[in-house]
Amino acid sequence: MSAPLDVERLYDEHAQALFAFLLNFTRHEADTRDLLQELFVKLAKRPELLDGVRDERAFLLRLAHNLAIDLIRRRGTREKHYEQLAGDTIAVLVPADEPDEGAFRKALSTALGELPPDQRAVVHLKLWEGLTFEQIAELLGIPLNTAASRYRYGLDKLRERLRPLYDEIK
Amino acid sequence: MNPDDLEKHLRSQPMRQVPPQWRADILSAARQASPSEHAPRTTHHVPRSPSLFSTLLWPHPTAWAGLAAIWLLILGFNLATGPSVPLLAKRASPTAPQVLMAFQEQERLLSELLGPRETPVAERPKPAQPRPRSELRRRLLMA
Repeated sequence: MSAPLDVERLYDEHAQALFAFLLNFTRHEADTRDLLQELFVKLAKRPELLDGVRDERAFLLRLAHNLAIDLIRRRGTREKHYEQLAGDTIAVLVPADEPDEGAFRKALSTALGELPPDQRAVVHLKLWEGLTFEQIAELLGIPLNTAASRYRYGLDKLRERLRPLYDEIK
Repeated sequence: MNPDDLEKHLRSQPMRQVPPQWRADILSAARQASPSEHAPRTTHHVPRSPSLFSTLLWPHPTAWAGLAAIWLLILGFNLATGPSVPLLAKRASPTAPQVLMAFQEQERLLSELLGPRETPVAERPKPAQPRPRSELRRRLLMA
């Protein structure tokens, strides 16, 4: 029988990472909120899901990714275009006080939105979660080479998009 | 531009913080969904005095249920096998008076058909004994 689930502890330790990943992946704040709630409700209903889990963060990120994929599939193609328009303006980064840095962050947020979702997920997990390619591959359920190549293609696109701005602030 | 520098700079960009007002709502939803929330609350449960029935079953109601099941099985077996044996015996061997009456009726019919016949010196009729069917048939044919 699994131990009682400490939902507060899980939320306080992992909600920030889950929020950042889901916001960057879905590009939609309302969907992010719904998915975050759905994730913790699912854990509360089935606390045995965490039995034997060694890396809670990786497990929760995988769960979040699966829930996000399910949401996108439920939405279908009809709303995909709406999300693409909304994704261009959503801010996934903290606004900066310094104007140049602020412009860079805004451009980065837009550039991330222009990446395909599968590349965006890998780039986020590599840059902001610091996971290895092995961990990313296991989390997303993809081959190791696929994880590495998606990161390389995604980073190349960001570099091409952000080069002028980065050279100014460097 | 050094690719490593850009990568480092990207990594240092802070992601937005989860809105603090979400915490209470999400945790509330999670608590309501928790299985422990649906269990009967013992704090509001007023214990009733044990009934005579529960007193008789205590402390092993399972054992009593097993014993009752065994008794039901035995009863069912008896009902399934018991009545057929004497019933079959009853059907297989009709009573002797019935056989005697049937035989006397046949004698009367034959005498009507064949007419009167010399009867031997009357003997005291012996009480009819159940005979095998083949013997009875033979006697009837000979009559």
